[in-house]
Amino acid sequence: MRVRLNAAGRGIAVLFFGLLIAALLQAEGLRKQAQIQPAGFQRDLALDLTRPLVAVSRTLRLTTPRHELQLAIGRENEDRIDTAVHLSLPPPAETPATPVRRSARPQPRHVQNPAAPAVSKPLFTSARPLRVWVAGDSLAQIPGEALERVDRPALKVVGVESRLSTGLARPDLYNWFSRMQAAPVELRPKVAVFSFGADDAHDFMAGVPDGKTVGPLGSASWSAEYRRRVDGVTRELNAKGIYVVWLGLPIPDGPGFKKSFPIVNRILESVARAHPKTSTYVDTWHMLDDAHGRFAPYLRVHGKLTLMRLPDGVHYTAAAGDLIAARVLEQVHAVYRF
Amino acid sequence: MLFPTVTFAVFFLIVLPVSWALMRHQSVWRAWILLASYVFYAWWDWRFVLLLAASTVVNHVLAVAIHRTAAIGARKVLLGLAIAFDLGFLGYFKYANFFLSTTDNVAGTSFIAHVVLPVGISFYSFMAISYVVDTYRGELVPASFARFAVFQAFFPHLVAGPIVRASELLPQLARPRDPRQVDVSRAFLLIVSGLFLKVVIANHLATSIVDEVFAAPDRHSSLEVLFGIYGYAVQIFADFCGYTNIAIGIALLLGFEFPQNFASPYTAVSLQDFWRRWHMTLSRWLRDYLYIPLGGNRKGSLKTYRNLMLTMLLGGLWHGAAWTFVVWGGIHGLGLCVERATGWRPTSSAAQWLGRIVTFHVVCFAWIFFRADSFARAWEVIRRLFTAWGAPSPLVTTSVLLAILVGIGGQYVRPGAIAAVNAGFRRLSLAGQAATFGVSLMLINTLGPVGVAPFIYFRF
Repeated sequence: MRVRLNAAGRGIAVLFFGLLIAALLQAEGLRKQAQIQPAGFQRDLALDLTRPLVAVSRTLRLTTPRHELQLAIGRENEDRIDTAVHLSLPPPAETPATPVRRSARPQPRHVQNPAAPAVSKPLFTSARPLRVWVAGDSLAQIPGEALERVDRPALKVVGVESRLSTGLARPDLYNWFSRMQAAPVELRPKVAVFSFGADDAHDFMAGVPDGKTVGPLGSASWSAEYRRRVDGVTRELNAKGIYVVWLGLPIPDGPGFKKSFPIVNRILESVARAHPKTSTYVDTWHMLDDAHGRFAPYLRVHGKLTLMRLPDGVHYTAAAGDLIAARVLEQVHAVYRF
Repeated sequence: MLFPTVTFAVFFLIVLPVSWALMRHQSVWRAWILLASYVFYAWWDWRFVLLLAASTVVNHVLAVAIHRTAAIGARKVLLGLAIAFDLGFLGYFKYANFFLSTTDNVAGTSFIAHVVLPVGISFYSFMAISYVVDTYRGELVPASFARFAVFQAFFPHLVAGPIVRASELLPQLARPRDPRQVDVSRAFLLIVSGLFLKVVIANHLATSIVDEVFAAPDRHSSLEVLFGIYGYAVQIFADFCGYTNIAIGIALLLGFEFPQNFASPYTAVSLQDFWRRWHMTLSRWLRDYLYIPLGGNRKGSLKTYRNLMLTMLLGGLWHGAAWTFVVWGGIHGLGLCVERATGWRPTSSAAQWLGRIVTFHVVCFAWIFFRADSFARAWEVIRRLFTAWGAPSPLVTTSVLLAILVGIGGQYVRPGAIAAVNAGFRRLSLAGQAATFGVSLMLINTLGPVGVAPFIYFRF
């Protein structure tokens, strides 16, 4: 029987079948989209739906056009799901981490190299500038741009890589561990400034070693695994002669992140303390709170009230980026002259 | 909920067939489409829905009161109340931070506010103002509450326009749409062209050159800065025109006709011509509810210039709560005044081409203030434009040049060619149309940068 559609019916049919064809043609891309969603019902459902879609698409060889196009534009690995935490150095011998004391009104903290006398600091010049690589989640972008604006001939920002919603907890979303192996060869940085953790502060973690399980955010097992990753990254880069700057997470607006961000900050800070000569921690939380330790969208800079945070209560404005960049350079000055 | 996402595709796959199934039962249909629109809006933040509902209730009550009141004085008071409510509503959410921080800086006070801007508030507030003003003028009989609620919240136009007039949409909401009269071919071409403009052109230019140039102009050569500015001109066109194309296409599939919002703006031969082609629904809103009530061009030359400047300055402020937007509006206002004073009306082909080049560059110059996050950054961009010629320009790549060329060149495509593509698509079988649509989506998604950037005009 032939069904005769009116125009509206035809519109619905074209929409439905068109989306179905598009889904089959980019099934692997959809599969990755499903994989990288936050843990929960929506992700489980998306994974269940995309599994047969990928199977059908591969059977019919419908994945080929997208693969060929990706190959032609140099983005052939875009649909690949890589959950491996690539850390080649063996874990360090168990030593208790330096405890981080909490005072009633802490000052912005940073861990510097107290042992390095000024004369031993390597000198960088305009002919041989200090190469800085900035990377991380969306919070890395503004401080990275601020560092790019710094007018110092002996300083060269070789890359600002900010990837939305990524971090060290979800290599399936974007594998920073792979990138951290490639970037030192490609960009030859001497300093790496990292901003991670805002998108890691949740219960789910991908790439956990076989046989291990990780509990919810803040549990001993979660903190141990996250510390293993932060520490592993620090040691891998240090081994390549790269000084690592960990940017702490800023004080957020609203109650949710106020509990989770400090968990990440404590780990970042304790790792920096464990490698005092080769890494440092920049405390943005206390840099951007008000006199009472509360979230402050505006701060006075040189007497002028200046907007520091975007309306989402997390991200920085350019002015906040400038403050962070100045602090980063101040701390890097402890180890390098430029 | 953003249009180019899987979430929206699933949402629309449910909403569209149910909408047509319920179309004959108008009261049920209105409830359905209102629910769908509120879900669409609540996807950002459910609290925004309360604001939208409050705006609907207050404007409806006042419009009905205006309609039922005969005394001129009382009508004026009611109109004043409605406009004060809408502008107060918009002013609080959009401008509280701006004015309080400016006051704090000037007076040394500490009135700091931290108000979150609800998505699309400028658009639905302007639609509400036009509704009550048209009712006051006697050009409109207030609709039932349900119809007005759908008019204001209808999800295709809700967050970034086009700014649809009550006289355009309410009559369409008065009776069931005819399922035989849906222009399917045009709808899908608009959706595909909108997605291409947004996902491929706008996102590519933003990530490849524009964001980098405007973040640190001093790190870039003059050539990169120049193409960063051209790139932004194309990016904002592709972003906004792309969004409204998708919105118009979606509305068409639901059986509704929205007004055109862009007509090849970078082919304009003068600024006056530009404003007839750029964000057309805002231009005519400003003309009908601001410029003409101010007196328009009927009260002598000086007042005409004043009215032009005021309209453009306030138009600038509508876009964003920052002085850079005011300057952007000021440049356009000044340009319009100069054109008026000199009587610039290019007629010959050579004069028109000269007009196009000059207009495009004046518009690009104004975009610098629109895009820069501060005056200091805008001046850096302008200064760098003249001081770093000859430096390496790695950001000016073939793909950037191609995107700019497509973004501008596409505006010179003759309407006949677009009509031919439309006719070609219409002739295809259902399978052919679905395959063309599906393959186009795959190509767009593969060619566009990873991730979905928010539309620029959401924050306005």
